[in-house]
Amino acid sequence: MDKKTSDQAGLHRRGFLKGVAIASGSGLAVSAQAQTPPAAPAQTKAPLPTAAQTAAEHEAPAHVEALTTEKTGSDFMVDVCKTLNIDYMASCPGSTFRALQESFINYGQNKKPEWLTCLHEEVSVGMAHGYAKVAGKPMAVMMHGTVGVQHAAMAIYNAYCDRVPIIMFTASAGPVEDRRPGVEWFHSVQDGAATVRDFVKWDDYPWSLQSFAESTVRGYGLATAQPQSPILITADGKLQEMELDKHEESKLKIPKLTIGTQTVGDPAALKEAAKMLVAAENPVILVDRYARSQAGVDALVKLAELLQAPVVDSRSRMNMPTQHYLYQSPRGAALIAQADCILSLEPVDLFGQLNRVRDQIERTWRHTTKATTKIINITTHDLLVKANYQDFQRYSSADLQITADAEATMPYLIEAVQREIGERKSMFDPRGQKMRDAWKGFAARSHAEGALGWDSSPISSARMYAELWNQVKTEDWAFLTPNNYSGNWQHRLWPIEKHYQYIGGSGGSGVGYEPVAALGGALAHRDVGGRLPIAIIGDGNFNMAPHVMWTAAHHKIPFLAIIQNNRAYHQEVMHIQRMANRHNRGVENAVIGTTITDPNIDYAALAKGYGAVGIGPISDPKELGAAIKKGVEAVKAGNPVLIDVIMQPR
Amino acid sequence: MKFFTAALVAGLSLGAGTAFAQQDTAPKGNIENGKKLFTANGCYQCHGTLGNGAPLTGPRLSNTQLPFDAFMMQLRSPANEMPPYEAKIVPDSAVADIYAYMQSLPASPNAKDLPLLTGMGVK
Repeated sequence: MDKKTSDQAGLHRRGFLKGVAIASGSGLAVSAQAQTPPAAPAQTKAPLPTAAQTAAEHEAPAHVEALTTEKTGSDFMVDVCKTLNIDYMASCPGSTFRALQESFINYGQNKKPEWLTCLHEEVSVGMAHGYAKVAGKPMAVMMHGTVGVQHAAMAIYNAYCDRVPIIMFTASAGPVEDRRPGVEWFHSVQDGAATVRDFVKWDDYPWSLQSFAESTVRGYGLATAQPQSPILITADGKLQEMELDKHEESKLKIPKLTIGTQTVGDPAALKEAAKMLVAAENPVILVDRYARSQAGVDALVKLAELLQAPVVDSRSRMNMPTQHYLYQSPRGAALIAQADCILSLEPVDLFGQLNRVRDQIERTWRHTTKATTKIINITTHDLLVKANYQDFQRYSSADLQITADAEATMPYLIEAVQREIGERKSMFDPRGQKMRDAWKGFAARSHAEGALGWDSSPISSARMYAELWNQVKTEDWAFLTPNNYSGNWQHRLWPIEKHYQYIGGSGGSGVGYEPVAALGGALAHRDVGGRLPIAIIGDGNFNMAPHVMWTAAHHKIPFLAIIQNNRAYHQEVMHIQRMANRHNRGVENAVIGTTITDPNIDYAALAKGYGAVGIGPISDPKELGAAIKKGVEAVKAGNPVLIDVIMQPR
Repeated sequence: MKFFTAALVAGLSLGAGTAFAQQDTAPKGNIENGKKLFTANGCYQCHGTLGNGAPLTGPRLSNTQLPFDAFMMQLRSPANEMPPYEAKIVPDSAVADIYAYMQSLPASPNAKDLPLLTGMGVK
């Protein structure tokens, strides 16, 4: 029965009760008035009121319980979120936010944000992680009180380590006297963010709607300020479900969101950096989590060309076009060893870039640079460091430490270098020629290595990437996954030129990132249109969240997922093997607890079960091209597609 | 010794190809047993099922021209990240079998004959 019908029939329960209440109140008033004589002149002796009359005038009218309402606190929370231009809210259902969910999908008309159904909170957060890196802006996530946040914790940690913004909400059932016994207590919490506070930038539990508005807008600003990070707001259950009358609503104000400019390096320090770089004979530019836009990529190319300096990319983002002759990552170790000045831009692990620790019983380490090498470090690292989790890595000194956002700083560094070079624009040309010569050798070396095991079954990683390239080379392709365990062939031979074509890895090395980030990244690509998103997902990684294929099918998010199926958590196979060797016990048992065989998993069938297209398993390299072609066609038709490829361990 | 180690590392990191000429002093190994041992000892986990090698984990071993002594030395006292295999786990005779198996594998195809491979990417 729709509302109109209900009203016409006079069965709207709240309206009915309200009518009764008004009628009763009126009746009392009328009754009291009727029993009161007209006003008499002063000094006229009037009869004293009866006890009933006194009670009617001074006591509260009998309480009538309201069972429905037209506007709630959760509606206002939706109003707040709508001011932030958030496109999506990913969520696995949970009763602690039932009012909010209903408000988003009905009051908010399920637009801006649109509610997305995920089958695990790790997927909700992980897809927001991948989405933000492609879309360049955050999406929102709603998590069930206590248990939902616990489910999501690893994905939040990944996003935090990767410095990616996510606007996260959780909920709690409200004050003790309002909670239903049992489940609402299990899902209530004094401090909803405590579980994850070590790896979110900021959190709050607002105790009023006005506070919710201010905290949510504040949180968005903090999440998107460099270094970016997830933030978490707890939406109290009572605030969500409370009736919001017009008077109370009129007092609420939603602050205007203002995104601040990012921190830029001190001009004096940049001048000093420019001097050091121009004076160097063998400068090297190390980049890691540097570029977050095409402008950042273009600026890096400009700086590298000014200096004719090689760029060594650690690939936490797409920083430097792989087809540029100054992209010199394949000989990064040699360049670092020879460098007299290193410019490091947003390193995740500067110590790891400049030192090597040997994984033997004796953990010896050594510098990979010369003792005299000067280090310039431009980074936001020091602006977000916490104590407990060790994602800050080992301390590494720099000769010139510039605490600033490297991408925002780059135009000013370029200006400083240009001033320092002055008229000597061709002074670095010989160095550039050496780089061109070296770059030409990279492809030949990769081809020689790629030929190894070309026809082998399981299929070699080089063969898989070659077959894939052959099918997508005319498409606007983009990788959604880091592909570190399948040979990095995309960085060795594919022309990665656009910022969105590669988005780096998990951040915290939490297994399960690949399928969930792929889902979110594919969503952002879908909204742009015309792109072919590709994810190379390890079988171990995929098994953490295979149901992403359902969410992709349900919300019509097309992407090509190639399962790099080596039937193992192969990194762990190698770790156990290393320990077995170290202990002189043989490696036969290294497969216990590390391999995923007996039975082998049918990933194509799994994908089909979730409503996606499933192809494979493919173990014959000669069949792979046709399988990928079929998969690409299905993606272009709007489907999520999984191809199970039986591959070499690495 | 220092020179030898350096040369060995270079040989391995270059895919065990050209640093040494193959020596005739290698003991005669059992190819079939070597194939079994290559799998049983987990060599393929880093070096690929055909000893084809893989970026980041292990260099090519198939059709290696690394001398047997150097092969043995790398196995017993790895100069890099490779875990050690002592004689208690892989006896000398087993090393010889694995070496023979690696030698028996066909050479990889020439990349120039693989247009699908050389066509990858933009030139």
